[in-house]
Amino acid sequence: MLADEVVDCHVLVIGSGGAGVRAAIEASQYGDTVLISKTIVGKGGCTTMAEGGYNAVLREQDSCEIHFDDTLRGGAYLNDPELVTILVKEAPLRMKDLITWGAVFDFTDNDEVAQRPFGGQKFPRTCYAGDRTGHEMMTTLVERLDSSDVNLLQEFTVIDLLRNGESIIGAMALDEKGNLVLLKADSTILATGGGTRVYDISTNSSSGTGDGFAIGYRSGAELIDMEMIQFHPTGAVFPYDARGRLVTEAVRGEGGILLNSTGERFMKNYDPERMELSTRDVVARAIATEILNGRGTLHEGVYLDVTHLPREQIESRLPVMLEQFLKFGVDIREIPMEVAPTAHHIMGGLRITPECRTTLPGLFACGEVAGGVHGANRLGGNALAETQVFGKRAGEHAGKSENRIKNVDKEQINKQQADLEAFLVGSESPARIRTQLQHAMWKGAGIFRNADDLSKTLEIINCLPLSSIRAESPRNLNECCIVRNMCLTASLICRSALIRKESRGAHVRVDVPQTYESRQSPFGHTYISQTREGIERKRGMP
Amino acid sequence: MKEITVKVYRYNPGEDAEPYFETYTVNVNEGARVLHVLHAIHDEVDPTLAYRYSCGSGQCGSCAVRVNGEPVLACMEEARNNITIEPLNLSVKKDLVVDLVPTLETIASLKPSEASRLPTKSDIDAIKPLRSCIECLSCVSVCPAMDVTKFLGPTAMRQEMRLALDPRNIDDRITAAVQEGLFTCTSCQACWKVCPKEIQIPGKAIEKLRSLANKKGLTLPRHKEVAALVKETGRSVARTEPTFLELVNAEVIEPTGPVKATVGFFVGCMYNLRLPRTALDAIEVLRRNGIRVIIPKEQVCCGSPLIRTGQLEYLETLKQRNIDAFRFRNIDTVMTMCAGCGSTLKHDYRTPFEVLDINEILTKFGIEPPARLPIKATYHDPCHLLRGQGIRDQPRELIRQVVDLVEMPSICCGSGGGVKSGLPEEAAALGKRRGEEIKKTGADIVVSSCPFCEFHISGHTDKPVRNISTLLLEGYKEKDRKKKKNPVVH
Repeated sequence: MLADEVVDCHVLVIGSGGAGVRAAIEASQYGDTVLISKTIVGKGGCTTMAEGGYNAVLREQDSCEIHFDDTLRGGAYLNDPELVTILVKEAPLRMKDLITWGAVFDFTDNDEVAQRPFGGQKFPRTCYAGDRTGHEMMTTLVERLDSSDVNLLQEFTVIDLLRNGESIIGAMALDEKGNLVLLKADSTILATGGGTRVYDISTNSSSGTGDGFAIGYRSGAELIDMEMIQFHPTGAVFPYDARGRLVTEAVRGEGGILLNSTGERFMKNYDPERMELSTRDVVARAIATEILNGRGTLHEGVYLDVTHLPREQIESRLPVMLEQFLKFGVDIREIPMEVAPTAHHIMGGLRITPECRTTLPGLFACGEVAGGVHGANRLGGNALAETQVFGKRAGEHAGKSENRIKNVDKEQINKQQADLEAFLVGSESPARIRTQLQHAMWKGAGIFRNADDLSKTLEIINCLPLSSIRAESPRNLNECCIVRNMCLTASLICRSALIRKESRGAHVRVDVPQTYESRQSPFGHTYISQTREGIERKRGMP
Repeated sequence: MKEITVKVYRYNPGEDAEPYFETYTVNVNEGARVLHVLHAIHDEVDPTLAYRYSCGSGQCGSCAVRVNGEPVLACMEEARNNITIEPLNLSVKKDLVVDLVPTLETIASLKPSEASRLPTKSDIDAIKPLRSCIECLSCVSVCPAMDVTKFLGPTAMRQEMRLALDPRNIDDRITAAVQEGLFTCTSCQACWKVCPKEIQIPGKAIEKLRSLANKKGLTLPRHKEVAALVKETGRSVARTEPTFLELVNAEVIEPTGPVKATVGFFVGCMYNLRLPRTALDAIEVLRRNGIRVIIPKEQVCCGSPLIRTGQLEYLETLKQRNIDAFRFRNIDTVMTMCAGCGSTLKHDYRTPFEVLDINEILTKFGIEPPARLPIKATYHDPCHLLRGQGIRDQPRELIRQVVDLVEMPSICCGSGGGVKSGLPEEAAALGKRRGEEIKKTGADIVVSSCPFCEFHISGHTDKPVRNISTLLLEGYKEKDRKKKKNPVVH
């Protein structure tokens, strides 16, 4: 196997979801830009699956300050305030870009972009296109991308970054046949999305395998808050193979209510003020508690009911939900849905500056792979906004960065090739390792955590036979690399969860007694890299 | 868990001489989709099986495959035992993975300008039905026009219409659409019947674009001639022989036996002016089966040739004349025997009466059994009957009472959508393909239930082409002959 294919460009963008495509559009204004994607651009990633909406301050009665407060409060005050300020200020501008480029968001009778309430918001600021908002955004972004000079490498799997000393100078990838390709770039942007596929029950697409976290970590980048996993309160529970499929928060935004098996609207016991539109961490724990205490349905879920809403409202605002449930034999206009929490979003990720620079020169990150924006719990509607705000920033600053000397380290290539060749003579099924990992993570690093279970989970991961995974053919090499990345990302989650000895937002340590509220927490970000790990303490805190 | 056996298409171009099928038996969970069967094969049996997927929830359009010949999203289609899974009808990269990119690249993009205005709510509401396309290319996989002529395809047309509706777009998308093959669509409806999002591309995009093209003077010359003829004579074809309406004198035709039902008969231009014998055969069959038929003589063209080609100017007049013709006689059921007229009356009209196809009438009230004829027939599904009106079983039920039926794939013959008149070469190419399918069945005759199909197909096969009514009548004649030869002795 020879790495004789070499691409050389100014900016290399890895990932083709909302953040990656936005970054590539922006970067292409400054020089040769290559967008490399594990999937066909527009089809992969999680943006296209995002249903509910995009948060942006558009009305006079709303303000960036309120959006900032909502986001920080929702994030249990772990968010990086500077990044949040940028998010709330620029979300409306990036929304305007999308509208200019042709996005078809729902409009009000006054011909303004319509907004609906979402959890944890003091003002209904979630813009939407029915319940296919992310798809609408991707369609728009891909159209815009088509009009740019960006070169696309589709269905290529990036397996590692290229290093020149401390600097990142591009990436190594496999094409669909398993050939190794080198991509040299002055600046490299990681926009690989999230990784909750490491859990047995997850909303993520096939690309939510945490590759960016693993690739970044292996190259020496620092990651923060990797323990912060958002469990979306409402995932489908049956049929078995569709478990975890997202049931959008828009269902509750439109007026859907949660009921346990006794018919009780149980949110009044957990957050009587905000009820179903509390933040996701609170609602997910409430549902999990109801089920644990025997008040769940036959399928181990709770009811999410919209049968009291006008049929027309369900049909026009929630068409995807209606269609999906009908396919599985449930007419949500007549029968309540059954839902349970599902692993949805990783709030943590590579540490970034407001310019999306990581701790490694030449490496940028944006979107879900970056950490800090959402703190300990993300508000629904803030992720789509994040993809656009930070995608644009990453593209711009990567594009403006200077040219770099790109001496490829032969040793690094040789080592990579040796790894790949080892896969071809390996013996362990990657599918089996993946399943073992997913079950262990769901059991030991889920919604309710303790040190014992986390340590055991970490031990299980460390014992998985990663050195002898088998690739049946060169075309299967990428699967081996991806499983390896999933295991590394999962171990980062467990290690970070052990480091944070407090309950904060989505991270609940049932083994740690706690008297303070999140706002009074003495702790800041957890951080983890190849050279150091720990937890920050807030200034002035004991 | 349950065991499931499926047949899967395998092909690695460059390594395999030709595609082959492999049969797999795997265990899957209750309610598993086709995608989960593929996962099970890949994870447990053969990791080299290549297939594409991403979201797993019907939102990304990565996983479309053909199951028993029909395009579906693997992630949404429930897996059944003994199904055959094949790639879409596109260039195969490996196994079930097809090359989507070349087609995706042909779909136009919005080119905004600073000067353009933002959409209003009513613009948005108009665009939305065309916007939920997930570009799975199921429609492209089934489009007959794309197989024989230069046509960018259904979803490309959907996008052109979406752009044409958007005030932010500044390009002339209408002229572009015409160049991209707007007039090659035969209105066969196959695209939206397989669309997982049920986007009505023929009605909501292609006919609308053709009507915009009409306003720009881009209508095909032959289509303009048809429109002029309709305006002049009320009919879309010229009179060359005595018409059906002239041949039947009476306005009401009584059945031979007791009356089971009364229907108004909407004849349509083709049966009236080109195939009047067939319509007379139908009258005979109806009489014999207790159906009283009322035939208003002032009825005119249904307007289908105008709607399909985007020439809507004279349409309302036609509609009103037809509706009045039946309403004045207090008719509550109107029968069509032309698939195109039937589909038009059912979908493009708001009628104060029910519209039923003759196949529906005959099966609804039941028919006297005809004699069996010792021949083998194949049936050509008219697009506007099968996909336009959802009528699949009724014609087959009738045909099987007379002859043995051998099936062939349901594909457009090429005569619809104004293609036969406007682009005869394309129509001929599609007709030729039908001829080949007919030959493969080994049938002695071809049966259909649409004047356009019957007329067109007879030019592309050496087998006789019969309307269902004519076939039934032959069955009755044979029965009568036998009775005469061997009179029943009491």
